[in-house]
Amino acid sequence: MSLAAASAPEAARPRRSPVALLVRFQSLLGLLIVIAAGLVFSPHRHGRLLFLQPDNVANIIRSISETGILALGMTFVIIAAGIDLSVGAVLGLSSVTTADLLVNDGWGLWSTLPLVVLIGTAFGAVQGAISTRFRIQAFIVTLAGLQAARGLALIVSDNSFININYGHGPGSAPPAFAVLGERIGGVFPVATLVFILLAVAAVALLNVTRYGRYVFATGGNERAARLSGIPVSRIKVSVYALTGFASAIAGIVHAGQFSFGSPNDGTGYELNAIAAVVIGGTDLFGGAGSMVGTVAGAVMLGALANILQLNDVSPAMQLLATGAIIVAAAALQTYVGQRSGGGSR
Amino acid sequence: MRAEVPGTDRAETPGTGGPLLSMRGVRKRFGGVHALRGVDFDLRRGEVHVLLGENGAGKSTLMGVLSGAIVPDDGEISIEGVPVRFGSPRDAHEAGVIMIPQELDLVPGLDIAANLFLGKERRRGGLALDNRRMRAEARTLLERAGVSLDASLPVGSLRMGERQLVAIAKALAADARILIMDEPTAALSAAEADHLAGVTRELAARGVGIVYISHRLEEVPRVGDRVTVMRDGQRVGEASPRAPQSELVDLLVGRPFSELFPPRAASVGAPVLELAGASYAPDRPRPGWQHTRDATLSVHEGEIVGLTGLMGAGRTEMMSALFGFGTTGRWRGTVRVGGVDAGLGSVGAARRAGIAFVTDDRRGTGLVLQHAVSENVTMSTWRRVTPFGFVSRRLQGRAVSRAIADYDVRPRRPEALAINLSGGNQQKVVFAKELLTRPRLLLLDEPTRGVDVGAKAEIYRQVRSLSATGLGVLVASSELPELIGLCDRIVVMRDGRTVCEFGAEADEAAIRAASEAADDTAAAAGPHAA
Repeated sequence: MSLAAASAPEAARPRRSPVALLVRFQSLLGLLIVIAAGLVFSPHRHGRLLFLQPDNVANIIRSISETGILALGMTFVIIAAGIDLSVGAVLGLSSVTTADLLVNDGWGLWSTLPLVVLIGTAFGAVQGAISTRFRIQAFIVTLAGLQAARGLALIVSDNSFININYGHGPGSAPPAFAVLGERIGGVFPVATLVFILLAVAAVALLNVTRYGRYVFATGGNERAARLSGIPVSRIKVSVYALTGFASAIAGIVHAGQFSFGSPNDGTGYELNAIAAVVIGGTDLFGGAGSMVGTVAGAVMLGALANILQLNDVSPAMQLLATGAIIVAAAALQTYVGQRSGGGSR
Repeated sequence: MRAEVPGTDRAETPGTGGPLLSMRGVRKRFGGVHALRGVDFDLRRGEVHVLLGENGAGKSTLMGVLSGAIVPDDGEISIEGVPVRFGSPRDAHEAGVIMIPQELDLVPGLDIAANLFLGKERRRGGLALDNRRMRAEARTLLERAGVSLDASLPVGSLRMGERQLVAIAKALAADARILIMDEPTAALSAAEADHLAGVTRELAARGVGIVYISHRLEEVPRVGDRVTVMRDGQRVGEASPRAPQSELVDLLVGRPFSELFPPRAASVGAPVLELAGASYAPDRPRPGWQHTRDATLSVHEGEIVGLTGLMGAGRTEMMSALFGFGTTGRWRGTVRVGGVDAGLGSVGAARRAGIAFVTDDRRGTGLVLQHAVSENVTMSTWRRVTPFGFVSRRLQGRAVSRAIADYDVRPRRPEALAINLSGGNQQKVVFAKELLTRPRLLLLDEPTRGVDVGAKAEIYRQVRSLSATGLGVLVASSELPELIGLCDRIVVMRDGRTVCEFGAEADEAAIRAASEAADDTAAAAGPHAA
């Protein structure tokens, strides 16, 4: 996997105890456990493991692409000691705006997609600016943003479902857009490719650029960061712009994958994204975290859901299992935080 | 060496009956480390017994044993002649031994009354909280602790000095017979510390036995009846609080006080900071801030200038405003850095002008505690190790290993987390971080707060050798002996104004008098030695 190489810079900040190592790689370890469980519990068909069938693997990675993209942005926000509850709603707004512009307004791809991305990014930046300028907790501002984005989505769509038909002429979207729902070589989903490209960029941005350092410092100790001459306010606004950007991309992918835009889509996605980030080992209080962990956390959640589905476990039990894993991840972090004398509050 | 306290005005209480507390031959080992090597300690009724020692001397372990938090390997403790054995802080609590930890155990979100009666809430009919009664009782307790505060105020809204007094009231609420105060003045201003000393004396006069752990030598004579000094897990001596500081330092570190300070500079260069009739107007006023109203002073290359004054005189506020920390605004009058008008008023402007700032709160504003030393050291200069926006491990590693060597940060591991360093080493990291910006003017706010005497000497030496390279240093401190020993000149502030200036080796009493003078005429009469 191309992400393995990107985890190298992480090694520059090692911790010593084996338990701490466990936390550092808890998401990867968890992922291994989930995959092992998948192999053990997978139903067989024609003597082969259903879990490992190319179709099934493709299903897993396709199913996590949207939440995964949201979680990438969310990681920046959480490391900067913030939170963004609006990502699911902005995803919905973006998907419905994409559908509306392409189908109802006859816009082309080269005008529609940049505009949607711009709207999403601006939406996030405005939330960040409000939170920073007026010193309102991000939880509140983005909760309000969630409502506002849903409202806007309803206005854009006239409170209805927009089907995307492909073709030429009015009432149809350019056929090129359908590529987002397709699979490369009939197996590898294009949506997943988008996720992987963004994940590589996000890992690099967080780990090897000055900007990434500023994000860590802002979340770790805002006052110390300010004193060091770091433009803390701008950093805080920028991370919300990043989640807005990620939400817009996820919204476009959503519209492309399902060939429709619905104002209510993406409901609850913000919680899945936060779960992936937390399972990935990022500290909800900010200042510490890992983008590679987030990716692994997202894959792990997807694989887990897949195993449970393959075994016909009821949706209720699936939710319970997800909850248990989130608690276990958080408990492990707190435990090690206390043992190593730092990090936990 | 066990000298009785000389006949001071407050020595009437000790000696009535047997000792309130007696600890004999207390030993404690942590792994291979002997934290306590058979320590004797006693406390009389109505006495303030100061316990001095550097970090790691064993003070905290000894008091941990007394307050039940640590179970000793060996030794006897008796209270009023009755042998006791504490298995937990709760046991000690019930015996009337209360410890006020440095990190006060108050809940900021609850009001004062609720804090005082936490766990022992007064109830009406065994059910509903009797808030009226608790507030009334709280008022009495607060009065006994020497403070008049509305008991319905949340603790989070109080200043540190007030919180310390609330913590004392809480100990009183628990009927403390023996009160252990762990560096109670560490976070307090000079005025608050003075007030606390009075309250402490008052409590002792009512018959409470008080163990007073301290780092600050200059407060010992004001508060103590007796001093016990510990070093390396042993009691190395007992002294009168009236003993000169030099004698106490001798006991603490085994070398004379004057040797703490490096020799002064022979000559100074061009001015790096010039203020003349300077005043500061913030964009947004901050309540409780004494803004600079009229400041005139200069700092030259190679010179260390001290800034003193009572709490509220505006020392910290002036430094913060020069650096733009926690405030933005405009300076009026002459404010020149390196000979040019600097247009200060924000962190960016200060950095561009070549100013570096070491705050008085290294944990809160100086460091990102959960990050590595390497990240902290390069925090102010990331631009230099991130060409084109990308972090260069090579440049960062080089800068960090040089800084660690130059400032002798222990352990010598760039990847060590800041939180695991001792106070003195954390301060070295902050210095390294600031000096990597290659400043021409260094502002130091209480640079030695909370570090032990050995580390202080190290910091003085460091500051002097930095100034010898041509750096101008302006240092604010509430410890006058420190300023007198370290600085080439000392400027006194009062009510946001600079009122007078003293040369090297100034007289402590004269500086105190100038800081406290009631009106400007008295200050004008003060010595102007520049």
